[in-house]
Amino acid sequence: MLKRRLPRWLAWAMDPEQARRAPFLAHSPLFAGLPRRLLGRLATRFLEKAYSAGEVVFHEGDPGRALFVVVEGTVEITQATPRGEHVVRALGPGDAFGELALIDESPRSGSARVAGPSRLLILYKTDFDALMDGEARIAVVVMRNLSRVLAAYARRNPVVLTEPGARSEGAESR
Amino acid sequence: MKPFWLVTIAGVAVLAWLARGLALPVFLAMVFAYLLSPVVAWADTLAIRRSVAVGALFAISISVLLGAGLLVGPRMVKEASALVERLPTLAIQIDTALDGALAELVDAAPVFRRVLPEGRGWVHRLVLDRPPGDPSDFFEHVGHLFLLAILVPFFAFFLLRDMPRLITAAMNRLPPKHVETSVAVWRELNGVIGRYIRGVVLDGLVVGALAALGLWALRIPYPLLLGAFAGIANVVPFFGPLVSAAAAAGVVLLTPGQGLGGVVRVLVLFLFIKVLDDTVIQPLTIGRSVHLHPALLLGSVVVGNHALGVLGMIIAVPVATVLQETVRLLLEHRRVLARRSLRA
Repeated sequence: MLKRRLPRWLAWAMDPEQARRAPFLAHSPLFAGLPRRLLGRLATRFLEKAYSAGEVVFHEGDPGRALFVVVEGTVEITQATPRGEHVVRALGPGDAFGELALIDESPRSGSARVAGPSRLLILYKTDFDALMDGEARIAVVVMRNLSRVLAAYARRNPVVLTEPGARSEGAESR
Repeated sequence: MKPFWLVTIAGVAVLAWLARGLALPVFLAMVFAYLLSPVVAWADTLAIRRSVAVGALFAISISVLLGAGLLVGPRMVKEASALVERLPTLAIQIDTALDGALAELVDAAPVFRRVLPEGRGWVHRLVLDRPPGDPSDFFEHVGHLFLLAILVPFFAFFLLRDMPRLITAAMNRLPPKHVETSVAVWRELNGVIGRYIRGVVLDGLVVGALAALGLWALRIPYPLLLGAFAGIANVVPFFGPLVSAAAAAGVVLLTPGQGLGGVVRVLVLFLFIKVLDDTVIQPLTIGRSVHLHPALLLGSVVVGNHALGVLGMIIAVPVATVLQETVRLLLEHRRVLARRSLRA
């Protein structure tokens, strides 16, 4: 009887939202390679917010304090050009943006606007720093992944490497 | 400001005023919730439902508290009873010493006669000659404590269980432009307050245990009672350790057979604990959660005492830290808005 009921009790004692969040984050390139235990710890640090279509997540030039991961919907990264606002990238579920906020609070290089009703996970630098203080492995894995993302970005936009301060048309919001 | 917000703020203010009696239980529940929150956060990492985790944690916490009460409680009650029994003798001893010292002072400098109040036996009058209280007062105090014992865990349970849901609801109602900076401020402050509360409680426990052990080793009477007092008083920066050392020294001074040597031993013990606390225990427990200038720290304690007494002294440091961090981050936010409007 206990054998039959135990799995049901265990299933009842599980939080479905938390149980879904860690595997979801595992698919993000930024958190790839993190063991399940650390993904579980990381997942609890995220906050969630629903956005309506057209809402701006952050503006170009704002200090970056948080990383965002798209759970549902689409987010457009835009940059202001003399000819108007230019869409640099469209992001979907699993994509992360604003990663550089985990390193410092430098100004955002682009704006992020929600294209349709969306849900985003938000990780604040404060929480990430607190997590890194107790778990150096998270810092190593996330920073390695972040370096890969930045290297890919730099290869696509070589002007950034040669001309400090210059921004190419294709620069993405970090 | 829109009329809707004015009415809402006024409504919240009226509600807060009507529910002011709940301020202390809610405050203590928040402290309790902050203490237990790391364990609940750990359960979150295992994807355990909050109600299950918090329920189990409360069952364990209550068992531990009951166990500790059964282990230490009878001894504490015995020491407290012995102290109460000795109070008349102690009061007479203190009065005799005090009256003699004051008589000598007045003889040496008659100008003090005008300043000092008339009469003798102040301690006896203060401690023992108070008119007996109304029995209903006693029941009121017991009733108040009973209510606290029920309300604090009750509020703490729901704070711990429902906090993620409340945060999500609040986040969804927050305009997107405030999400990054305002919530970052709150997350930072939340971290600071949590670390401070857990650090102070752990620090008080270690200091109290060290004081009790040291006093017991020095064969000072009432080691558990004085150790517990030292641990609780340690919550108040600067003044707490001084008061607990003075209390222990006073007890030694009035204990036959201890003499001045005993007082010196107790003061050395408390000095040693204070140095150990400042150099080893506090960096490990409270750590970097408080970044206040020492002058601001002392000033906040004095202002806290003036405003709310002992409770004000206890909450002075976290409140000052929160204010300092809020002002810093809001000024930074204002600079960003100014830059943005310049660009526009």
